[in-house]
Amino acid sequence: MSRSLKKGPFVDEKLYGKVQRLNADGRHVPVKTWARACTIVPEFVGHTFQVHNGRIFIDVFCTEDMVGHKLGEFSLTRMFRGHTNKKEGVKQRH
Amino acid sequence: MPRIAGVDIPDKKKIRYALRYIHGIGPTFADKILAAAGIDGDTRAGELSDQDVGQVAATIEAGYIIEGTLRRQVQQHIQRLKDIRSYRGDRHRKGLPVRGQRTRCNARTRKGHKKTVAGKKGVKGH
Repeated sequence: MSRSLKKGPFVDEKLYGKVQRLNADGRHVPVKTWARACTIVPEFVGHTFQVHNGRIFIDVFCTEDMVGHKLGEFSLTRMFRGHTNKKEGVKQRH
Repeated sequence: MPRIAGVDIPDKKKIRYALRYIHGIGPTFADKILAAAGIDGDTRAGELSDQDVGQVAATIEAGYIIEGTLRRQVQQHIQRLKDIRSYRGDRHRKGLPVRGQRTRCNARTRKGHKKTVAGKKGVKGH
């Protein structure tokens, strides 16, 4: 079920404030964040976020196309290394 | 035999059902189109006058995305998800379910036919 329109998009307040300050200064520095559930709003475009995936921070550069998606969609939390092969053991992938 | 929207040639069925042979038109749109064109949905497709067919074609032309255009649009949306490297795009690329369904079993629509893996539960051995 999709989110009620009444509420508007969920944007992490603290992160949003930070981006606003960066925009005011005209600066673009990577922002570390754990706010995976935060929607990418137009103000975020052109900024780089380091989105935590539970282990490390993944660089996410926001483009116009990404507006409306969540930050977490670009920072995958699972690593698939392929299925085990009985003879060779774990295959090397990625 | 009427010809609506290029190649589609629905025939002896009632026009309400015949219209559904066009990609992008289902039960709801079929009825809406016929209402807008002022045609009784229960007439057979073959019994429609040329004028009626033109009317239907014009209505579809004016307000509905169908066939090739629709297919292309859907492809573009998927391509966009792939291009921005989102999780959903990734799932499309891998041919796995996109909306969070389980993949431990089932998910055969996306994954295609079963590929038996030796050593897995149910396969001889152990």
